[in-house]
Amino acid sequence: MRSPARLPAALVALPILTLLVVPMVALALASSPSDLAEAVRDPLFAPALLLSARTTLVSLALVVAMGTPLAWWLGRSTSRTARLVEVLVDLPIVVPPAVVGIALLQTFGRRGLFGGWLEGLGLQIPFTTTAVVMAQVVVAAPFFVQAAASAFRGVDADLLTVARTLGQSPRGAFFRVALPMALPGVVVGAALAWARALGEFGATLLFAGNLPGTTQTMPLAIYVALESDVRVALALALVLALVALVLLLVLRAAPALWARVGAAAVATGGGPDRSEEAGGPGGAGR
Amino acid sequence: MTSRTRLRSAATFFAAMLPAVVVAGCSGVEGTRLSIYAASSLTEAFEELSVLFARTHPAASLSTTTAGSQVLRTQIEQGAPADVFASANPEHMEALVAAGLASDARVFAYNELVIVVPLDNPAGIDSFEDLPNARRLVLGTPNVPVGRYARQALAAADSLVRPGFVEAVLDGLVSEESNVRLARSKVELGEADAAIVYRTDAASSDRVRTVAIPPEVNVRAEYLIGALERADRSPLAEAWIELVLSAEGRAVLERHGFDIE
Repeated sequence: MRSPARLPAALVALPILTLLVVPMVALALASSPSDLAEAVRDPLFAPALLLSARTTLVSLALVVAMGTPLAWWLGRSTSRTARLVEVLVDLPIVVPPAVVGIALLQTFGRRGLFGGWLEGLGLQIPFTTTAVVMAQVVVAAPFFVQAAASAFRGVDADLLTVARTLGQSPRGAFFRVALPMALPGVVVGAALAWARALGEFGATLLFAGNLPGTTQTMPLAIYVALESDVRVALALALVLALVALVLLLVLRAAPALWARVGAAAVATGGGPDRSEEAGGPGGAGR
Repeated sequence: MTSRTRLRSAATFFAAMLPAVVVAGCSGVEGTRLSIYAASSLTEAFEELSVLFARTHPAASLSTTTAGSQVLRTQIEQGAPADVFASANPEHMEALVAAGLASDARVFAYNELVIVVPLDNPAGIDSFEDLPNARRLVLGTPNVPVGRYARQALAAADSLVRPGFVEAVLDGLVSEESNVRLARSKVELGEADAAIVYRTDAASSDRVRTVAIPPEVNVRAEYLIGALERADRSPLAEAWIELVLSAEGRAVLERHGFDIE
């Protein structure tokens, strides 16, 4: 699009772009390869990275599994209840993570709303890996639900009606028409939610505590390392940023890859097993 | 409004914001500001001292930052604009002196460790020997002075109480906190069965019960204060240290439960 506003737009965009990108570049420049090697050997590193990987994958699965039906309803419903629920779902984004942590303690802690009941069942949530996952789900889910709801909102209702008249069940119409059409938005939501879960710090520290191997995720390990050795902290931070970057790129490329796999399958009349050449790397559809 | 003028006004807005952001970054008049970095356990004592200080230095704009001593040390090493540092152990102060960042460090107070439990004492901890009962024990990280002292005390207890005591205690460890106040807060919230904190932290909370740690295993925590070496160090730094070491300052520290000698 050629527009006379392009230059001022670039001028306005440049500071924010600088602010977003330059610190990440500075982070990369701050660590030498030997610092990185040292950080990777640091006793904090491996347990924290594994714990972060484990907990964020579980959180992401829970968010997608439970968030998709909610997002579908929010995206399709025009009721006032849906609008109210939408606002409530947004709340954990607005509230500081530390407050989310305190709120979780007030709910699931020993003296929380469900505390006595959980204690009766012999269940303890604070200070466990379960608490880490719960904190991540609470802070990450809103990002997924909002993005997925808006993607579902964009699906043409007529197409769903056509699918139904062609003999699809409601379930079939959802999985074969609505979900594929909304997929790019849903995947962006999943990527955002996963990124937010990976970066989660405040709610985890308050609700789950900080114990290596059990509740000390990468952001907490970075925080602890920062208190003793800044170089290790910087290198840990860089590793986390790189892992996040790779996974975000993969997630962003996934819908295009999926589409190409699907197209290849249709073109060749074969299954997804015939589609290696079409589904190679390269971020198709950019 | 066309998109072009809208963009232009947005640019004007950001341009107008810029000086505000820059000004917000450097507050306080040169020469009258004083920035003190102090161990968390000193929070209330230093608050009271700053009221005294303001009486003799009405023009001073004083700011006190409290955190785990290891956090403050790292921030100072990274160039934080602190004028005075008060550490809860010698190690973090000595590291700054060795790096040429602090000078003339002096011991100004002592403290010791106690166990704190919630008022309803769910794990039934009535003596130091009961500590293995804590299924949810909270300590400081190994870097924060209170966490380091606690591990020293536990190590001493292993030979004095019974072999295997430390493992039994650490088996209940559920969280390592970055300063003594965070450790205490887990007990105040009733989430932890016990935490090892300073005697002064136990005394300044009415939501915890104190269980003594016997003198044979207890430690003597040493607090050091020193002026930081920076080109634009506040001329008030020495005045603050003098106040802390004065009879008046020592009385305040004693009132908050610190030992003076």
